[in-house]
Amino acid sequence: MSKVVEISPTTRHEGHSKLVLKVNDDGIVERGDWLSITPVRGVEKLAIGKTMEQVPKIASRVCGICPIAHTLAGVEAMEASIGCEIPEDAKLLRYILQCANRMHSHAIHNILSLPDMYIPGTDVKINPFTKEEPVRSVALRIQRLREIGQTIGEIVGGEAIHPSNPRVGGMYKNITPRAKAKIYDLAKEGRVLAQEHMEFMVAVFKNFQNRDWSEVGGVQVPIPDDLGYHNQGYMATAPVYGSSSLDENPTWFPERFTEVRPWDWYMGEVEVSEADPNYPIGGTSPVGTKAWPQMEACTGVPLYDGQPVEVGPRARLVQFRNYDGRGAMGLQIARQMEFPETAYGIIDALDALDTSGSVLADNIPQGDGSLGWAANEAPRGTDVHLARVKDGRVQYFSMLVPTTWNFPTCSRALTGAPWRLAEVIMRAYDPCVSCATHMLVIDEDKRLVAQKLIQ
Amino acid sequence: MLFREIVIAGCGNPLYGDDGFGPAVVEELQKLQLPDNVKVIDAGLGAPHFLFTLMEDAEVPVKKLIIIDIADFGADPGDVTKLRPEDLPPGAYRDAHSWDLSEPLQRLKDVIDITIIGCQPKRVASHEFELGLTDEVEGAIPRTVRIVLEEIGVEYGAAINHQGTHLWASPGETSGEAGDKTGEQT
Repeated sequence: MSKVVEISPTTRHEGHSKLVLKVNDDGIVERGDWLSITPVRGVEKLAIGKTMEQVPKIASRVCGICPIAHTLAGVEAMEASIGCEIPEDAKLLRYILQCANRMHSHAIHNILSLPDMYIPGTDVKINPFTKEEPVRSVALRIQRLREIGQTIGEIVGGEAIHPSNPRVGGMYKNITPRAKAKIYDLAKEGRVLAQEHMEFMVAVFKNFQNRDWSEVGGVQVPIPDDLGYHNQGYMATAPVYGSSSLDENPTWFPERFTEVRPWDWYMGEVEVSEADPNYPIGGTSPVGTKAWPQMEACTGVPLYDGQPVEVGPRARLVQFRNYDGRGAMGLQIARQMEFPETAYGIIDALDALDTSGSVLADNIPQGDGSLGWAANEAPRGTDVHLARVKDGRVQYFSMLVPTTWNFPTCSRALTGAPWRLAEVIMRAYDPCVSCATHMLVIDEDKRLVAQKLIQ
Repeated sequence: MLFREIVIAGCGNPLYGDDGFGPAVVEELQKLQLPDNVKVIDAGLGAPHFLFTLMEDAEVPVKKLIIIDIADFGADPGDVTKLRPEDLPPGAYRDAHSWDLSEPLQRLKDVIDITIIGCQPKRVASHEFELGLTDEVEGAIPRTVRIVLEEIGVEYGAAINHQGTHLWASPGETSGEAGDKTGEQT
């Protein structure tokens, strides 16, 4: 008889999602559903009628983690629709921005994955916030990599979080020779750190895969050799940057994309029949909780060639670098292997960049309503934006974000794993579930503390 | 430099109606001429992720952090309040990535002087995206700018940027603080 376990909400990633797992008597997942429970809020509708300059700015506000990917994909979808080729130097600046963003994002993901891992050769889990060695110097290296990524992103992108420099037709400004020298110094420092860091992280993930067990909530859970294996395909458009319908040989094909409703994909209504109050953090849902994935899932299920596919670091390495690592740790290792290329990518692009070159197209057409798309290889996978622009106004806009692709694929990867390791598999995908609103609520007592400032 | 001695961060999402208050105040602040040790950041939704977890080990130590956001403190829409990190309910500014459910601000507050300026919102869109602030909250922007300037000890008159044009000043055009930013801050 299979039992049902629900982990809700899942932790150490962005947004709200949950896992509904049918498990057998040994606690092995027979069928797992991982779903977003963050409501979809209709950016597509909001975009209609707005100017083509405005829509990428709106897109960048959808998520607090990936504004750079959304800005670039959004801007390039507009350019693809109006048929605007941008100058080479603008492309190089965007490429640098892309690499810097990836450096930061992969580094921060390490902090989220490390608490599941062990210091090699010991049975001690890694606490990335400890002040003790050897973890302290790893944490500092991660922070420095993030800082380098963010600083370069700020210089090139105009602002560190929501980049203001990319625009339809290129970039607002080129960088100064002095800024170029500064980025060069940072990238050279980052190159050494990224290499060291990749080697360390790969060792940590390999060590986990070779272990016999992992401790979760006081229980020793056996680690299967095929943790997180799935038989789905991969989708990636480029090793680093992306593709668009303007390319001579585009690497993404809208006609291969279809979408089904969550109703057709996820499991029906179930009742939780097994619970573990000691499961971190705060225990699993209590017995008797009702779960209805096909009703609760907030995202559609995108298919490529009729199947869910994996996007992200491993998809890129499989497509373009003959990588063959499988499972959750194979994906984690692929992510680390992308580290050095972020620094080298910045250096190569800087070498090619002419700081006195123009970064804005001479002619920016206003669009005739044709469909354009742009795919950006965001840190967590292919981010595709589609747009139709006519007379400078957006008629149609749609975003296919990376984690939406990974939800059904990762759900398949849960099968065969002990349910207590389901979150370890999920975290390997570096999920970014679209953000919810953010507001401070002060409780009754605190209202008294809050002092009005009327001026 | 990613940070300077004083960091002013506007938080919130302009796609959720009045939640865009923080970024709107930042837009105004960026038109002003502020001292070199002040950095104004449009943090959007990314503050915990991009700022608060990065400040501790920053190259240039941050001494003072001012956060501008909306806060429901039971007042009339557009009213503004000043809060300390101690006043915040658990879970405010938890990293979107949920760093093990830790509270970055509670950790930071021992190292950095933190002030939160909160504005009572009127409407925060919850189902559909919605652009634009309500009149009440929009009206709170000038007051908030003055409160921020007071916090950092700058006279409003001295901060007016007579050279400033607009945010997207193109090269060659006389541009103010905001337009100058890209590439110039090495």
